[in-house]
Amino acid sequence: MILTIGIDVGSSAVKAAVVASPRNSGRTRESSKIVATHTERVRRRDQRHVIELAFDEALKAAGITREKLGYIATTGEGELVEFRTGHFYGMTAHARGALFLDPAARAVVDVGALHARAIVMDEHARVLSYRMTSQCASGSGQFLENVARYLGVTLDEVGPLSLTSAKPEKVSGICAVLAETDVINMVSRGIALADILKGIHESMAGRFAKLLKLMDLAPGTVLVTGGLAADEGLTACIQDALGKTKLSGQTVKTNPLSVHAGAIGAALWGAFRSERLASRPTVASPALAAV
Amino acid sequence: MDSVDQYVARADALYHDVSYRSVAEWKTRTGKKAAGHLPVYAPREIIDAAGMLPVAMHGAGDQVEIIRGDAYFQSYICQLPRSTIELAMSGRLDDIDAFLFPSTCDVIRNLSGMWKMLFPKKFVRYLDLPQNFDRKVAGRFWAGELRHLYADLCALNGTTPSDDALRLSLARFSANRRAVASLMALRASEPWRAPAAEAYLIIRAGDVMPVEEHTAFIEGYLAAAQGADRPMRDYTRVVVTGAFCEQPPLELIRTLERAGCYLVWDDFTVGARFLEGDVSLAGDPIEALAQAFLNQSVKNACVYEPDGKKGEWLVNTVRDTRADGVVFAAPSFCDPALLEQPMLVTALERAGIPHTSFKYAENLGQFQVIREQAGTFSDGLRLWSNA
Repeated sequence: MILTIGIDVGSSAVKAAVVASPRNSGRTRESSKIVATHTERVRRRDQRHVIELAFDEALKAAGITREKLGYIATTGEGELVEFRTGHFYGMTAHARGALFLDPAARAVVDVGALHARAIVMDEHARVLSYRMTSQCASGSGQFLENVARYLGVTLDEVGPLSLTSAKPEKVSGICAVLAETDVINMVSRGIALADILKGIHESMAGRFAKLLKLMDLAPGTVLVTGGLAADEGLTACIQDALGKTKLSGQTVKTNPLSVHAGAIGAALWGAFRSERLASRPTVASPALAAV
Repeated sequence: MDSVDQYVARADALYHDVSYRSVAEWKTRTGKKAAGHLPVYAPREIIDAAGMLPVAMHGAGDQVEIIRGDAYFQSYICQLPRSTIELAMSGRLDDIDAFLFPSTCDVIRNLSGMWKMLFPKKFVRYLDLPQNFDRKVAGRFWAGELRHLYADLCALNGTTPSDDALRLSLARFSANRRAVASLMALRASEPWRAPAAEAYLIIRAGDVMPVEEHTAFIEGYLAAAQGADRPMRDYTRVVVTGAFCEQPPLELIRTLERAGCYLVWDDFTVGARFLEGDVSLAGDPIEALAQAFLNQSVKNACVYEPDGKKGEWLVNTVRDTRADGVVFAAPSFCDPALLEQPMLVTALERAGIPHTSFKYAENLGQFQVIREQAGTFSDGLRLWSNA
């Protein structure tokens, strides 16, 4: 077995996943096992310190030391991780992690704190196309977190509350500032919290559905990953929004480990690369002898 | 022996010295004159043999706001001449006594004419590099040009032309090219030991350092880098081409490497290694330098090549350096680089070598798009090719 770790450095949290992979399993690694995961919120702390904490805690949870790792893979803002072996880009890592969590997944909606992206992939997790939300924050987790704070609800309560809404209130889907103004107006008009939250979910889901519609999306699972993957209200709204497009045959799902999809994907790719690198010859530098 | 950080700090200070204070100090110390030249190739040996300090001028990068320079060029002209004019108009080039403008492209050729009008008291020479590589015709022409240049620079500096001085300079620059080649070889074999931006700074230090000092500087850096404890990372090995004249911002080079690309070969400041190998010290030194240009120069977009061998040369460079792919990084509006690119792409595609391309300007300040592009290129190569 090869033990690898994936570290997904996000702007609000650092996620780490330790994965054990059978040797010689190529790119598929279906029988890999997730040994441990850990999430460390940044909370205005130095990001490098938080990365070290997440790394150490994941290793502790896995009951291993750093020397046992065959590859330290990073994703997200992982270029900050000086001790990394290699780095994989967000879409590459999320696609791989999503396929591992749900082998029927052919698309991913990764909702992070600062932006969201839709990824279409094949059955090998090869990214075929991707689209990101524009620079506006209204499609991001940070926006939802801010609104939840204004409304006095925790992020864990947002999804269940949204699901109880019978009459969602329309929110601006274009601009976070306008959307926040909408929310303030709704509160002063006495709109129910559930209806406000579902309105926000619908606004976000509409943007994600548009991203997916821009790509050649095959029938299959659309897995929601990233920090908002646990928000079942958002997942339900993405399913509804997709139903309103001309796309068909897609089921929007999430997974209890979806928040770690990037870290898991990076760890799996790390295992693949670890074996590939081991098969490469080491080259000395003959030119140095001349100096 | 200095540490890697000390070498890099010194090179970094010279890189950021767009007022050429180090040149002024050298002139004060030696009582001699300095001759600047634009990219790509100029016969620095001739300048050195005339007792002058050769200064390779690569614009101002992102360090100077262009105000006066823009007034002289249309919007579809690259950034390098604008910043060069800006430096001159702001007095930062006052310590440079002679200016050589090689025939790299129309813009640099025209810059020589502008210089004559703007700075009539300065020595200005347009270097019409041969584009016909016939030994007899081009050799006679180029040797004649070099002789005139040598005589004129000696007259300017108050020195006497001498074959011995020329041979000494040929030997010094051959030694320097060997040191640069060693650094490039280290980049090709163990790129984690000499990060791309570091190696770039070390080579760029030669823009303003006396050649023998620069050779020792590279050798010192190589020894320090070899002893430094730096981990090998799982990066893609790429060749970068197209950046031979206007230079990419330092942060762009760092971005490429941070995005997961080891730059195992590049044509940044290729003028410093335009001649491959040593120049013969036998016979007439001017003739030897002229023949070296005809027979030993690198393939480059600013040199005419009639039979499509540049594509083959790029493919061989990829194979020799065991690169996984090619990154075309060309300055916006760089005619030589961009016009050549389709031919090079054809050669790469025939050979099944992956490639990607982007454009930059020397004063570019945003690298996120290039970071994403280079990163996904690296991912694609590592995960879906034989890299």
